[in-house]
Amino acid sequence: MRHLRFRFLALGVVLMLAVPLVAACGSTTGGGGTTTGKTIKVGLVTDTGGLNDKSFNHLAYTGLLKAEHDLGVRGDVLQSVTQTDYVPNLTHFAAQGYDLVIAVGFDMQVALGQVSQTFPNTHFAIIDGSPTDANFNPVPRANVLSLFFREQEAGALVGTVAGVLEKDQKTPKPTGVISAVGGQKIPPVDRYIAGYQWAAKMADPSIKVLVGYSNDFTDPTKCSGIANSQFGQGSDVVFQVAGGCGNGALQAAGQKGVYSIGVDADQGFVDKSVIVSALKKVDVATFDAIKFIQDGSLPPDYQATGEAPCVASTRSCTEFLFNLKNGGVGYAVDNLNPLPSDVQTAVTNLENAIKAGQQTPPETVS
Amino acid sequence: MATPSAPTTERTASADTPTPLSRVIAYLRPMGTPLGSVLFAFVVGAIVVVATRGNALLAYESLACGGFGIFCQNGENTALQLSNTLVFTTPLILTGLAVAVAFRAGLFNIGAEGQLVMGAIAAAVVGIKLGTWPALILLPSVLIAGTLAGAAYGGLAGVLKAVTGAHEVVTTIMLNYVALWASRYLIIGGPLQAPGAFNASPPVAAGAQLPRLVPLNNNLLFGLPQSVFTAYTGIFVSLFGAAIYFFIMRRTALGYEITAVGQSQRAARYAGISVRRTIVVTMLISGAFAGLAGAVVLSGLSHSLVDTYFQDTTGFDAIAVSLLGQNTAIGVVLAAILFGALHAGGQVMEADAQISHNLVFVLEALVLFSLAANFLRTFKFRLPAFGRSPTQPAELEAQDVVVGAADEPG
Repeated sequence: MRHLRFRFLALGVVLMLAVPLVAACGSTTGGGGTTTGKTIKVGLVTDTGGLNDKSFNHLAYTGLLKAEHDLGVRGDVLQSVTQTDYVPNLTHFAAQGYDLVIAVGFDMQVALGQVSQTFPNTHFAIIDGSPTDANFNPVPRANVLSLFFREQEAGALVGTVAGVLEKDQKTPKPTGVISAVGGQKIPPVDRYIAGYQWAAKMADPSIKVLVGYSNDFTDPTKCSGIANSQFGQGSDVVFQVAGGCGNGALQAAGQKGVYSIGVDADQGFVDKSVIVSALKKVDVATFDAIKFIQDGSLPPDYQATGEAPCVASTRSCTEFLFNLKNGGVGYAVDNLNPLPSDVQTAVTNLENAIKAGQQTPPETVS
Repeated sequence: MATPSAPTTERTASADTPTPLSRVIAYLRPMGTPLGSVLFAFVVGAIVVVATRGNALLAYESLACGGFGIFCQNGENTALQLSNTLVFTTPLILTGLAVAVAFRAGLFNIGAEGQLVMGAIAAAVVGIKLGTWPALILLPSVLIAGTLAGAAYGGLAGVLKAVTGAHEVVTTIMLNYVALWASRYLIIGGPLQAPGAFNASPPVAAGAQLPRLVPLNNNLLFGLPQSVFTAYTGIFVSLFGAAIYFFIMRRTALGYEITAVGQSQRAARYAGISVRRTIVVTMLISGAFAGLAGAVVLSGLSHSLVDTYFQDTTGFDAIAVSLLGQNTAIGVVLAAILFGALHAGGQVMEADAQISHNLVFVLEALVLFSLAANFLRTFKFRLPAFGRSPTQPAELEAQDVVVGAADEPG
């Protein structure tokens, strides 16, 4: 009995000692891969939505994959489970000497403000935001590149679709009322809605645009509730600007047999009611930011917008602005394909006018 | 608890002459079940990784790297990893104690998360609204406010159980949602929302913040700017909480009453213990620990009330922590360190081994599963026993369950 016990104990000790050894041997593989440019390391930190959000995080990851393939960079991803993961996740990549650390989303502004100060020699990029202090006041950081979008331009195009359809009485229940469901009253959301409202009123001056906010970006039931109350008030086209929550509005429109408009990504697959989607090409922005840090090249049709112009040699740039003109925002025709010819004409005309600078959609909801 | 283990010691002593080794083994024996379940979790976890075409060795290696800064392949900084582990461990100790004290009384407090949120809310309100108070008064007030809010919230479930017999599992689960949505209301369009923020309160005053272990500046420490080490003095609050728990359970009549009610409410009543009162007091203490956890994290780490609690699992991981720690103070601390290390390690594993951090939740669930199913006990009889007689009758083992099924009141 005794012998057996000791034998088991000895076996245990041997195993405990052996595991690290085997582990050390097992992990010598790695590295390699095709490189076309300077191999830089890029870390992507998602917000709490995670990679499968079918929206921002997913699009940013797509941009990273494209950069890995086209530019030969090395990309790694950390998904944040809670907001308290932002600082450690950003710090992880920065402390490991990554050349560029990308924060996906408005939500990470405070964390980025802190970590970018700790690592002044690391490049950071943030989608839809800029670094702030703990009191949410913007703080300038030479090593942070903000990736902003003119959402109002994409919003204006889909607003034109809704407005012209309504004027032509080609919507399911021609009532002269359309609506938008926003996730929260924050600048990126309101820019979409402002453009939508502005363009719809331009196409059909008598139109009524209802606007509601769910204060949520994840729970579909909240957005379907708001959408249903808007349908009750006569709306027959709903524009969702609420991420995962907004998918509930799209589905509610499908159940009520009215039209809906998707946001950020091409959402035609979410519900048959989605006629068009307003696109915000986070993947393009991510790719362009990586390319800038790698070889100093600015996005196509780049125009200086921030206070300081970008300096390619030091890779210092505070802001990239993506708009219709440089292809950073746009629209996709989904389940109303093709669009009626006068709708298509109106959209194309407005698109050209915005690109030419003849029309400027507003940034704030009126 | 003492009665069934007494014959074991006698028999061991008479059957074998005590050697130093057998004494050590006998001392370590209570750790058999927890260690066995952790081992079980890691073995099954490895199978999961391999089945999904991952490298299990690399996964565990990077997990160890992230948790304890050992076996690092990509030059991770050991001190930074230990600091991250400490950050995750700090609230887990307190919520673990919260669940443990309830378990001791035969109560299943699933509401540690809600009590934690209430503690965080109260701490934020005090830290923001009374921000002009001197730090010497403000910091304790913040922590006490969190403790009291958590206690009140836990006590609510206790009163419901004692007065109406409403099952604490149901009430605490439901109260979680009330707390979660209350926190969200307060910071999104509610009275605590900071100007310029879309889902956060302003930070609490500097005097309301638990100090960091290293000062917040960019001087180099272990080769990194000091400000990356987010570990804070909350760990001492947590360890103090563990000491208080130990004292209550081992040195006070209250601790005896809690244990007595947990083992048999009927026997406790015959012994003159007020079962109702004990249930309420237990839930008050349980909520106090969880509320303190919320206050400590708010005061030492997040500083603002942020919309994090819907994803936060501290209050639920606590169930596994207390079970793994066998509801003892030292056990809870050790289990919290393990789970804290797993959480910190999940990040490194995801970055280095390209294996989702969700494996950490799988491991936690497997630990919980194997402890809850208790099947390692039955399995143990087939293995040569360490430090006890193999002929020990099964019923002695069966009585050794710490989390006993409590009698229903009535």
